[in-house]
Amino acid sequence: MADLIRLEGVTRAFGPHVALDDVTLALPPGRVGLLGPNGAGKSTLLKLLMGLIPPTSGTGRVLDQELGGDRDAAGNWRLRRLIGFMPEADALVPGLTGVGYVGLAGELYGMPRREAVRRAHEVLSYLGLEEARYRRVEEYSAGMKQRVKLAQALIHDPPVLLLDEPTSGLDPAGRDAMLRLVRELGTEHGKSVVLSTHLLADVEAVCERVVILAGGRVRREGTVTELRAARRDRFRVRVGGDGAGFGRALAAAGVAVLGDDGRGEWRVAVPDGWSNRGFFRLAAESDAVVRSLVRDEETLEELFLRAVSD
Amino acid sequence: MGVQTDSLLRYRPWRGTPRGPLWGAAAVARVAVRLLAGRRLFWGLAALGLMVFFFFFYAQYLFVWIKTFTDETVRFAGVPVAVADLSKFLGRVNLDGSVHTFGNYVWFQGYILVIVLALAGSVLVGNDFAHGSLPFYLSKPIARRHYLLGKVLAVGAVVNLFTTLPAVVLWVQAGLLFDWHTYYVDNFHLLVGILGYGLLLTVTLGLLTVATAVWVRRTVPMVMAWVGPFVLLRMIAEWVVDGLKYDPRWRLIDLWNDLYLCGLWCLGADPRTIRPPAQPDVWEAALVVAGVCGGCLLYLRRRVQAVEIVQ
Repeated sequence: MADLIRLEGVTRAFGPHVALDDVTLALPPGRVGLLGPNGAGKSTLLKLLMGLIPPTSGTGRVLDQELGGDRDAAGNWRLRRLIGFMPEADALVPGLTGVGYVGLAGELYGMPRREAVRRAHEVLSYLGLEEARYRRVEEYSAGMKQRVKLAQALIHDPPVLLLDEPTSGLDPAGRDAMLRLVRELGTEHGKSVVLSTHLLADVEAVCERVVILAGGRVRREGTVTELRAARRDRFRVRVGGDGAGFGRALAAAGVAVLGDDGRGEWRVAVPDGWSNRGFFRLAAESDAVVRSLVRDEETLEELFLRAVSD
Repeated sequence: MGVQTDSLLRYRPWRGTPRGPLWGAAAVARVAVRLLAGRRLFWGLAALGLMVFFFFFYAQYLFVWIKTFTDETVRFAGVPVAVADLSKFLGRVNLDGSVHTFGNYVWFQGYILVIVLALAGSVLVGNDFAHGSLPFYLSKPIARRHYLLGKVLAVGAVVNLFTTLPAVVLWVQAGLLFDWHTYYVDNFHLLVGILGYGLLLTVTLGLLTVATAVWVRRTVPMVMAWVGPFVLLRMIAEWVVDGLKYDPRWRLIDLWNDLYLCGLWCLGADPRTIRPPAQPDVWEAALVVAGVCGGCLLYLRRRVQAVEIVQ
């Protein structure tokens, strides 16, 4: 099966500013989270993936369709038909009803009018907007607007959904529902999803893989589990007895105490070549007791911050 | 969200064959016209346009009818008026199915068209920018030119609804009123001229409307922006040429007059019959019109950017 995204040495510069710098990626079909701070190059990557701009150098493919930018119109149409894009901005057409708006999207994707309208009804029903189909889109609530935007991305049944901040402006219940829906589109209907967001929790809830971009470069890439597991020098130690003495002993042995929750649980970073027996030995020497010792899996947020600051 | 197991049954894959981007442009145009037709103001202005049309329609009929009473008088508000005088007056305003009947008709519709186009621009294009709808269009498999083509087609439909279509009806009516055996054959060039004039108006006003709407976006500022080229510059041109007796080329700053000159050329009018008489050459007017179109295209190319899709 073709890769969802395959980029080889892709660079995109705007004058002297390099927005993407020698990006090489190979992502299998599935649900991918695209994380990065402002200016990381996420937007530029999305534009490249949609064929809106060509790479300055390097090559890329989405589901085996080459990225050509504006230089290859026919290829571009084929590429964009593979993708359903849900923009972050409202992007609604005031005056149109829900079904009119989604039907127009279908026609723009090249569907005959009758089929576009019929499918608009189906997709809106699927997304729970059946009752609101004939209301004007500008009268929709924030949650409904997000769903109608998802409907217009889904109208032509694309294999790839490119979602830019899909939970932006939603309340917690709406956010959960949207994430459940996106996840379901991936698991039940086999859609590949590229989720660009600042919200790490969204990525955790939906995505199998994560790509962290910063400064125009890919800093981390892999499954959420792989990336978390990559950090093997962190432990959570629950301590009883003379904690102060144990802390001094750990420091002397080169173990850094990163945090203390105030209830005797510490987060520590050990030096290279460290053996976990050392915790128990030092505890015994300091009249302290190690009640529990577990590997401290890094949260996605910590991973993100570390990746960005590297 | 209401996504239940049974609702999944309603989601089915689509396996049709997609059509080319020109169909997308047609969809943009059709939806744009429908959006405009949903505005009450549009129908109010259409009613005004219809009044202008009816004036020409019935006046043409009146002209023919009056000519049958050559030696008589008719009473207007109790005052007897010689029919010959009346037909002379109606002849002066060219309500006789001639070149200037159609030229004048388009000229007078221009006053209403300016307001209609301000409304059309803000509804069809300004809203896309004001409400961030551009990403919706440009993320689809169409190019900027297809989006612009759709919008220009929609504006063109409005322009033709107010000008070309009624002018064609007037031409058909003139043929029926006069000797239709000879009128339609002898004046076929007028029909071609009307269509040519309509095409010129469609392209020029379409591009100008879309470009102005991209720039100012809202109806009232758009009306004010239109007042510049279509009212203020016309007044200045008339004052400079007719009042101060400067070079007639000063009339070139009046775009509607330039379009009028080009339109009359399409209709095959004798330049000596154009009023007011001091006019620039047609090629000069055509050059200005082409310049305006080129300027609009360059501006639109710069402003309607696909890269705005992702902020």
